[in-house]
Amino acid sequence: MSSINVTAVSHNEQHPIDSFFHPNSMPSVWCPGCGIGTIVYTYVQAVKEMNVEPDKICVVSGIGCTGKIAEYLNFGSHEITDGNVIAYAANLAAKKQYMKVTLFTNNADFLVSSAKDFLEIGKTMANLLVIHNNNIIYCITENGAIPTTPFIRTSASNDFELPFNIPHLAKSSGAEYVARWTPLHAGWLKYSIIDALSKQALSVIEVVSPCVMFFTFTNKIGDAADQLRFYRDNSVMKQYEPTEHLDLRSKREVIIGKFVDKKEF
Amino acid sequence: MSVEIHIINERCKGCKICVEVCQADVLDIDEKPNTSGYNPPCVKTLEDCTICGLCEMLCPDFAIRVSCIEGENKQ
Repeated sequence: MSSINVTAVSHNEQHPIDSFFHPNSMPSVWCPGCGIGTIVYTYVQAVKEMNVEPDKICVVSGIGCTGKIAEYLNFGSHEITDGNVIAYAANLAAKKQYMKVTLFTNNADFLVSSAKDFLEIGKTMANLLVIHNNNIIYCITENGAIPTTPFIRTSASNDFELPFNIPHLAKSSGAEYVARWTPLHAGWLKYSIIDALSKQALSVIEVVSPCVMFFTFTNKIGDAADQLRFYRDNSVMKQYEPTEHLDLRSKREVIIGKFVDKKEF
Repeated sequence: MSVEIHIINERCKGCKICVEVCQADVLDIDEKPNTSGYNPPCVKTLEDCTICGLCEMLCPDFAIRVSCIEGENKQ
């Protein structure tokens, strides 16, 4: 009978995914408990599990906190100016130099600056994976309202507007893989990224992730652990739910799952 | 076999996600802060660890990892 020994080691050591970062780039600039770190970890784990060479993967990101991802990751990385991310990534994917081009976007890149480009790449069948980090806010101007702001935004005639339904937008513009997860469901997110990386078409994954800095006090959300508890209590998994029901305001719960998966034919 | 929990103290930002997410109550908050002023986690009862890997998966700062090493038993 072999017994199990336990040892605790608590001095400075390397993390196994450190080889995917530029040297001496950690610790990161992200706030304590930010969801972007979990997204990066699951993405690197997915690439590790698929046994792809790092030269075959390209990472593109834009501005803001999400833009730092391309600065840290050691793949072919491009950090692009505001407003050009989606067009740049689509052109990069059209060259067929890489196996898959991954685009990390936030609200400022995706819906505010270059939504027009996104409507075009659905038609051109770009081989692109878009991982959208939807943290509900637009942090450059704290009071500014954006297409995904849930409760504040009013139209010109002072009516409240529904926030933008990103999975429905992706499906109607021709994406072959659409899913939505939270950072708490990191295991699901990892296998979802593996699914999407193995497709040869446009695929969109929306991650509803917490922002621990802005609007946490006024909305009485609390710290990072409280936010994960909020996602545990309020998220409902419904696979292949029709994408019309998926906007974040009409019901209080966050519907997660895989919504569109077109098989190759 | 041996279980090891590696905590990189200097990377930790004290968000306490690993402590909240651990279902076996292995981790606890260390009272001694690191050089940035955050309190990193410390290992309380390692015998209860089930190697689920949730703390490593959800850590946003890549500061903790769990490894199970096959090998000779150490006495």
